[in-house]
Amino acid sequence: MSLFAFLGTLEIGFIYGLVAMGVYLTFRILDFPDLTVDGSFTLGAALTATLIVLGFNPYLATLLGTLAAASAGIVTAWLNLRFNILHLLASILTMTALYTINLRIMGKPNVALIMEPTMLTPFEALGIPSMYMKVIFVALCAVIGGLLVAWFLNTQYGLAMRAVGSNKRMAQANGIVVNEKVYVGLALSNGLVGLAGALFAQTNGFADSTMGIGTIVVGLAAVIIGESLFSTRSILVIVMSCIIGSVLYRIAVSMALNADFLGFQASDLNFLTAVLVTLALVFPKLRREWKAKKAKGERL
Amino acid sequence: MIRCENLHVTFNHGLPTEKLALRGVDLTIPSGEFVTVIGSNGAGKSTLLNTIAGDIESTRGKIWFSDRDVTSIPATGRTKDIARVFQDPLAGTCGNLTVEENMSLAYGRGKRGTLSFALNDNLRAIFKEQLSRLNLGLEDRLGAEMGLLSGGQRQSVSLLMSALQPSSILLLDEHTAALDPKTAALIMDISSQIIKEKQLTVMMVTHSMRQALDHGSRTIMLHEGKIIFDLAGDKRAGYEVKDLLQLFAQARNDGEELDDDKLLLGE
Repeated sequence: MSLFAFLGTLEIGFIYGLVAMGVYLTFRILDFPDLTVDGSFTLGAALTATLIVLGFNPYLATLLGTLAAASAGIVTAWLNLRFNILHLLASILTMTALYTINLRIMGKPNVALIMEPTMLTPFEALGIPSMYMKVIFVALCAVIGGLLVAWFLNTQYGLAMRAVGSNKRMAQANGIVVNEKVYVGLALSNGLVGLAGALFAQTNGFADSTMGIGTIVVGLAAVIIGESLFSTRSILVIVMSCIIGSVLYRIAVSMALNADFLGFQASDLNFLTAVLVTLALVFPKLRREWKAKKAKGERL
Repeated sequence: MIRCENLHVTFNHGLPTEKLALRGVDLTIPSGEFVTVIGSNGAGKSTLLNTIAGDIESTRGKIWFSDRDVTSIPATGRTKDIARVFQDPLAGTCGNLTVEENMSLAYGRGKRGTLSFALNDNLRAIFKEQLSRLNLGLEDRLGAEMGLLSGGQRQSVSLLMSALQPSSILLLDEHTAALDPKTAALIMDISSQIIKEKQLTVMMVTHSMRQALDHGSRTIMLHEGKIIFDLAGDKRAGYEVKDLLQLFAQARNDGEELDDDKLLLGE
């Protein structure tokens, strides 16, 4: 793998670290499997790119893209809480609707940002080569995002949100308004994913209507890889391991795609993702079984 | 003070499975009174408790805490006045949060969670001191995951948690039923201590007639959603389990035998 390809891998890894944190908030903290992210990643990218092309300040455009994605999460929460639509289905409905909305926002299947200003433009004066600059910038975004998420989850409000995901009845008996926490949690999660989409569009120079496909699986892969690397109770370590998991996942995928003897093509990415996630899910279980078997063998 | 007026609760209204869980309960519990609630399965004990807590909405009737009408206030809004301990030791705590995190949640009961840290050294000191009352060594396991504790330990912590925040009412729903006799006795001991110390108004549902007579100052029995007797004072003091059974048969007035094994065996 060339240095250029490696930096590109790192860059995408850090961006999807934000996605992984969002997925961690829904899947792990709230116990609310949310597939909205496939749509909200694109929404963040599409709206930000469109606004930048229209001449908006890139930072303002990114903020608006993030907020739009957050509101998509609120729609999913509303469908689930107000109308009792199964969480998974509610999120699929929002995701499906977002596909059309994203096309409408862009007015075409993709928007190019090649010559437009981005969040990185103000830092070009520093003189650091752009390929390094991009990696440093997205890494900082991911780490700052992670610190904020970890801080939030350790506050009284964040702890209440964790209680809602863990034991609704206990949460209620302690005066926690369950629905409110789900709304806030889904908004935060999708906001993080939308921010990742906006960053992706600006560092890669385009937004595309299909760019969100598989976001949930990639995010989940990063969460699971992170979890299998660190067994800890510290929220900060868990959140940071989402970022590390995401970067490692990207490196693994790019090595697989680059290994000529395996004969993979770039279009094999989704299959590889599915296989990697399946392995990550299956491996801990198999390891337990092996250990149990071994222990049994020793007793005999 | 808790006051229930003509409380009705109907489940599955209008369906073939319709159940009249409460059928006109009138009950006034003065401040500081400890009432034990007995009755066979399906008598409406838990429904009554859950309706007072706000988990179940009453179909008819009103509920007051002191002179505040809380009938239309949801469960979360009543938690300022009410602390609860459930029958299931797993229900009262979050298994994948730590002991101190669980206690922090209970410490904030009825208050709005803010964006300040949920834990600090000051709180840890308070929790440690409280936990040491249990003599279970839990004061050294603040950071342990709740799910690693035994059922009895979890129930003990639930009980402590119910008393971390001042409340006027404590609702105990068969909170010793799922425990071994030794742990149950310990939990009952701590309950009595806390109730005395904080001068709480208490409703304790129990399956054991012995426990119902041994604790508190008043005993009510529910049957088919109604209160069929209400014992207090000197009259109650002389009562034994067999007298309760007799009273039950009389109150039923149609000679039907009490056939619930749990009630008969639940000494």
